[in-house]
Amino acid sequence: MDDLLNDFLAETAEILAEAGGALVAWEADPADRAQLDAIFRLVHTIKGSSGFLALPRVTALAHAAEDALDQVRRGQRTADAALVTGVLAIVDRLNLLCAALGQDGTEPPGDDRAVIAALAEGPVARETEEPPEVAGIQLRREDDIQADLKNWRSIRVPLPLLDSVMTGVTDIVLVRNEFARMLRESGASPAVIASFDRLSDSIAGMRQSVSQMRMQRIDKLFAPLPRIVRDLAQDMGKKIAFHTSGGEVELDREMMENIRDPLIHIVRNAIDHGIETLEDRVAAGKDITATISVAARQSGNQIEIEVRDDGRGLSPEAITAKAIASRAITAAEARAMSPKEKLELIFRPGFSTAAKITAVSGRGVGMDIVKANIEKIGGIVELRNDEGRGLSILLRVPMTLTIISGLMVRAAGQYFAIPRGAVREILLENGDTVRIDRVGGGELATVRGEQFPLLRLEDVIGRTRDAADDADDRALVIVRPGQGQSYALSVAAIHDHEELVIKPAAPMIMATGLYAGTTLPDNGRPVLLLDVQGLLSAADVDAAEAGRRRGDAAEAEAQASAARGAAQLLLFREAGGRMRGIRLSVIERVEEVPVAALFESAGRIQARIGDDIFAVHAAKLPAAQDGQATQKLMRLHDGQTMLCYPIADVVDIVRLPDAVRPATAPGLVAGVVLVGDEPVELIDPFWLMEQYARPDAAPTAGHAPLCRLVADQDGWGENFLAPLLRSAGYRVAVATAEDDEIPDVLLCLAEDSAETAAVGDAVPVIRLRTAVAATGPDDDTVYRYDRQALLAALAQRVGGSRA
Amino acid sequence: MMDKLYLVARIADTRVALRSRAINSVVAVGTPVEVPGAPPHVAGLFALRSRVFTLIDPHVVIGLPPVPIAEGQRVIVVDVAGHGYALLADAIEDVCFIEAPETRVSGKLLPGWARVAEAMIEHQSASLLVVDPSHFITLPVLNAA
Repeated sequence: MDDLLNDFLAETAEILAEAGGALVAWEADPADRAQLDAIFRLVHTIKGSSGFLALPRVTALAHAAEDALDQVRRGQRTADAALVTGVLAIVDRLNLLCAALGQDGTEPPGDDRAVIAALAEGPVARETEEPPEVAGIQLRREDDIQADLKNWRSIRVPLPLLDSVMTGVTDIVLVRNEFARMLRESGASPAVIASFDRLSDSIAGMRQSVSQMRMQRIDKLFAPLPRIVRDLAQDMGKKIAFHTSGGEVELDREMMENIRDPLIHIVRNAIDHGIETLEDRVAAGKDITATISVAARQSGNQIEIEVRDDGRGLSPEAITAKAIASRAITAAEARAMSPKEKLELIFRPGFSTAAKITAVSGRGVGMDIVKANIEKIGGIVELRNDEGRGLSILLRVPMTLTIISGLMVRAAGQYFAIPRGAVREILLENGDTVRIDRVGGGELATVRGEQFPLLRLEDVIGRTRDAADDADDRALVIVRPGQGQSYALSVAAIHDHEELVIKPAAPMIMATGLYAGTTLPDNGRPVLLLDVQGLLSAADVDAAEAGRRRGDAAEAEAQASAARGAAQLLLFREAGGRMRGIRLSVIERVEEVPVAALFESAGRIQARIGDDIFAVHAAKLPAAQDGQATQKLMRLHDGQTMLCYPIADVVDIVRLPDAVRPATAPGLVAGVVLVGDEPVELIDPFWLMEQYARPDAAPTAGHAPLCRLVADQDGWGENFLAPLLRSAGYRVAVATAEDDEIPDVLLCLAEDSAETAAVGDAVPVIRLRTAVAATGPDDDTVYRYDRQALLAALAQRVGGSRA
Repeated sequence: MMDKLYLVARIADTRVALRSRAINSVVAVGTPVEVPGAPPHVAGLFALRSRVFTLIDPHVVIGLPPVPIAEGQRVIVVDVAGHGYALLADAIEDVCFIEAPETRVSGKLLPGWARVAEAMIEHQSASLLVVDPSHFITLPVLNAA
């Protein structure tokens, strides 16, 4: 077979795929002149090239299609379903012919009159005019020149050639790595090393270009889909609107090959099983035109392709029932399964969800093959089911299987690779520019004023540090996995840079989420490539938290938390300059008091504000700063106790971030949040108030229990006891007072007073004695200077009377 | 004729027969590289002729405690769904033609073995389980899902 024919076939196959999609789009919108022109040009190109090669059947078919389309262009014919079907029939026939050409090298004999006639069966009006063909060709001369010019800017290369270039480069890189190691070990002269470095740079550049050569727009993968959807939908009497998006995303050619069949299968499945019949859709209250969309997007080093339909979704129960019926699982196994596991039964070999096998998708090629194909290239398949409302299937595959530049690091006595592209900076952990703070149980690394959440690789992968590691070698790798996130990864040591050929790891290793693949450096020991995004989720460090560093992310986050009605956080700076935050709702007010209003008393700092005295949370009196006569205090109120918290300044009021890294032990700081770029310690108001709450205070402030003192002959009760009681939250009345209120408790100060009888048994009585020692085992009196016993007795009596 | 060719080996303390067409090769393994965080039956990674293989400990699949790997221990290399795996074997006995037909598994097996055994076969007046190596790889994944 000569090269010319080969080129023609490759080009035509591509054109036909593109034309199929364009035709369907045009059918949906016949007014779209650009689409029509594009199809016209495609068909015209086939006609033109087939003329050179003496392929009469191809030329005749292309000519017929071109003719019909030209009439539409001139407004002599309207675009209708019959016309589109006719042109599609020609496209199909051309495909068949090309397949035969590819096999035999010659055009097979045959009769295409039926196909051509079907297209000619246009409206009767067509008969009346006979377009002069020559004129038609002249009309489109201009477009064609443009189209041809575009073709001249690129050349066609057979795929095997491209692949062999790729393999060659891969080998060169591996040899280069080995050579580099040998050079280092042999202690070569700087001149040799410099020249080797130049070679390395050229190789790196070449590798880059070759990788790009293999990249193709994912459009190509989507091109045949509209046609498939159209034909299937027509066959099955369903109405389907099909959309694609993200066609500009680029993907390695080999990946593309591996995704093609699974993608088509998923789309077919969606039409066949996912989308309900028209009647069912009406009954379900849905639009009768169903929607299927295929969207591609790039996320870091991965490509996500989502196929979403608005059909009936998957029913875990139906799937389970079917799996039991086909003896794939037992009923007992089914009962133990989670809904997610039930859904994943569709990935079992031989499983088909259709009630009966249809010609379309129930052909034994099932979701198991889809999953296997995707996993083979290191990808994953995810189901997002919304029963009754649709299903979306997410394919996530690596962008390329090729070579990446990797950073080799050591942790837990083992080597790991980090994609160099995700590494922003490497620093020694005990270097001058790095500060590591343990805040609230978590760790933060500050590098030149910028904060990063710190992950220790050993902790993330669940290993202990290797005792042989030198602490001075520990290094921080600032990793930016993409999408405006970054974190610091602490590793035992940095080894070196290497060009690595990455291969996908086995599915169960990929499933850990920690690794993106395996690689084989020249020492022959496999090395795992870390998934820098996966580490973040494995460490449970909120990715969105770090994402807040970016302006747009911050805005999205603000909206999201507003939607959730997030609490507000008061940011303030302490005298030491440390930034802290506290929930705004626990603050009653922030006020400035003269420094003189603060005083130390009874081992605690107190503040006099107006007529009240409040506890202040401070270990010592705030140092009076020069020229500063006032102190700012936050007043915290928990409904009972008032506490003042000295601050240097209020900074801001922000929404409380959702992601709090909690402290490990309860204390003043509940955890750390990132606000903007700053770590902020979050005050735990519960813990704080607990320190100052009077544990003996009466539980309700509104109705303090009443203590009545009886037999207070010498005024000891009034002068000594009453203040204690009042400070403990009781109201105190003396026996002589004329009031009707029945006290909650009676305190009898004389050991043998008869006055208690006046109140009767309804009120509990506590008798106080003056002697330290009790008179006997059944003596229930309380020594009058035993504060603890007295308060305990009060609490018990008062509590008891309530209960 | 190939259909009758079996590899007789000792896997997870049990003599089994593996259909030869399911097997890529039998090799000696060096020191594998651990995979932190992987399921327990993954004993590590090792390289063979510039390919990376995942080492599987059948003991764990069957429900026994894992065994330490000795340098030079023999492994059965299989390809499952495009990935290379190696099953740790306690011993490789023989590759031979077994004329006897495969029969249905009769009798009660331990649950671990019931999952992987496909049939039984008579060989040199002993009954051997016929196991599919791919079950050692795929089953634990489905269970873990």
